[in-house]
Amino acid sequence: MKLIIRKVTVSLMFAGALVFCLSAAAQQNASSGTQQLQSYDQTREVSLVGTVVKYDPASSVASIGAHVLIQSGSGQVDVHLGNARVLQASHLELNAGDRVRIIGENLAAGNGTIFAARVVQKGPQAIAVRSSKGFPLTPASTLSQNQKEALGGVR
Amino acid sequence: MKRLFLALASVAALWTAACGGGGGTTVLPPPTGKFSLSSLNGTYSFVTNGEVITSTAATSFALARAGSFTANGQGGITAGVEDVNSSGVTTLAVQITGGSYTVNADGRGTLTLNLGSGGSINFGLVLTSTSGGLMIDETFNSTQASTGSGNFILQTGGPFTVASAAGPYVFDFSGLDGNQTFPCPCPDSIVGDFTANSGVVNTGVQDENDNGNIPATPTPVSFTGVLAQDALDPNGPADLSTFGRGVASLNGINYVFYIVSSNRLRFLSTSNGEMLVGDAVAQNNTIPANVAALNSGFSFIVSGMSGNGGIIRIGRFTATGATVSNVLVDTNDAGTFTSTNSGTSTSITLDPVNPGRGTVTFKDPNLSVPFTFVFYLSSATNGVIQDVTQSTTNGATDVADGAIGGQTGSPFSSSNITGTYAMNWSGLSVQSGVADEEDLVGQATVSNLAFTTGAADIYEFQSVFLHNAGAQTDNALTGSILLNGGNGTGSDGKRSTMAVTLTKNGQATTVNFVVYFVSPQLAYFANTSTSSTRIVAGVLEAQP
Repeated sequence: MKLIIRKVTVSLMFAGALVFCLSAAAQQNASSGTQQLQSYDQTREVSLVGTVVKYDPASSVASIGAHVLIQSGSGQVDVHLGNARVLQASHLELNAGDRVRIIGENLAAGNGTIFAARVVQKGPQAIAVRSSKGFPLTPASTLSQNQKEALGGVR
Repeated sequence: MKRLFLALASVAALWTAACGGGGGTTVLPPPTGKFSLSSLNGTYSFVTNGEVITSTAATSFALARAGSFTANGQGGITAGVEDVNSSGVTTLAVQITGGSYTVNADGRGTLTLNLGSGGSINFGLVLTSTSGGLMIDETFNSTQASTGSGNFILQTGGPFTVASAAGPYVFDFSGLDGNQTFPCPCPDSIVGDFTANSGVVNTGVQDENDNGNIPATPTPVSFTGVLAQDALDPNGPADLSTFGRGVASLNGINYVFYIVSSNRLRFLSTSNGEMLVGDAVAQNNTIPANVAALNSGFSFIVSGMSGNGGIIRIGRFTATGATVSNVLVDTNDAGTFTSTNSGTSTSITLDPVNPGRGTVTFKDPNLSVPFTFVFYLSSATNGVIQDVTQSTTNGATDVADGAIGGQTGSPFSSSNITGTYAMNWSGLSVQSGVADEEDLVGQATVSNLAFTTGAADIYEFQSVFLHNAGAQTDNALTGSILLNGGNGTGSDGKRSTMAVTLTKNGQATTVNFVVYFVSPQLAYFANTSTSSTRIVAGVLEAQP
């Protein structure tokens, strides 16, 4: 865990200088009726600070994966956290009332957008859930030495 | 067919849709068909790709296997070898010392491989012929639970030597890259071709999409490599001669390979941290010499990972010379399903320097940037394809690859889509509150475009364990195919759909798909769910 925190610190500091007020309209229909094919771009990242309203490791709302509903200063934002197993492996629990900071950006999803988190911070613990290119991490990213050794026994 | 997802994309019995009432026990009718134990007779190379949970790790990790086993035609496994790569951690040359299998009349069956290191691994399978079939990993024991999809193919042309791999091959390797810097390993796709000559690879080219990093204009990169006997194989040269197993280095990445025949090699990476798996298929002299020679409809499917999660693109187009028409594409992006009904700004090119390599581009009028794909043809109509669609900034929108096949035998109708079919799907579904691996293998009879009788095994993780195995096997499979006026050319702007209903102990679940026929004997499909509870893709393959 310490390793993860150390590695995302730089990103958090950078993003901290780019704190934008993220409106509740983070998820919205794409304008002008034109959908997007969009890559994640860190230059578009914003910092979202708020309180957890609800955490769902497998929301029925697209995109597939874990979601957290955040109450920010300007409304509620549904945040896609990617693979719930990455959060589990990092022992990051999100409960209603937790104060969190999310680094991420809006990504196109069908006719609308979704707020895609790259880093989730709760207290001193910051967890990366997407790569710098915006792809949700797999549990392989969280392998400890003990887990690597255990995988050596897989047949 | 190679597994479509990887944990890349790869996700309770969320059998939420169309659940029927509870109670009762599913009793399948006695299977009918022409298969028996003697249908599995010989040495077969297998590959599966999925996930594993170990007894010491409360999470799931990507897992790929490649190997070979010998079936005696009487229900026994006499020998074999397998290699395992779990999220970059490898266990190599595991000897298979025995085992058993069953084959029902419908081609469905089970396979147990006993390992020299102790224990066994288990699979569900369905034969598509005596030369092979589709399979899913159903291993569930005190130390690991694993599932994943793959296939097995009869090996011919042995005893093998390194020189058995000869001539040009087209390949598609996908999985996780070898970047050990957090937060990688990251998704990776490599398609290309190489020529092998007595173990020397000196004319390879490849297009790689590693974690979305691709050149602005798709550009192949040259590489060299070697194929060799594995000097560290505890079974010595026998594993090469009997099972076709050797080691390779291609563009600096180490692999084990299995020679299926001179026409197909199977690769599994063994470099530290990397998990790439895929086949190389011999390229024949029917590949089109130039774009003017193109005259076919093509179906294609790619799967992998987008910024939203798992992604599938499936569709078809017609190439008449340099003209691309009748474009249909369906995208399931992490549970968001969108359809492209036409293409503008279309183009298709063939690389004059690298035979068989080409690019195809078309734009959905409702999308801001065009779809772009790189393909490598191994024949006039078959090949591999990689999505290199990129937004205006910051590289590829996704990392995904798959298969492309020239459409033959249209118009597709109830007259030619009939008989018995093997089925496999793979991907993610939501199970016990977590999106995780799901794999299905089954068989069904199609009559008047309805799945009249059928059965399937479906394996999923539940929490950090597999479901009870008994609850997963032998679901009744029924359903239907709606050709929707489709004639296989897309000229009517319509796509075909398919509904599959699985019933177990009175619980019924229907999963809806779009389906693109390559021929009456082969189709690709992807689910159309508009919720984020399942994203799977698969293949429907006729039995003889």
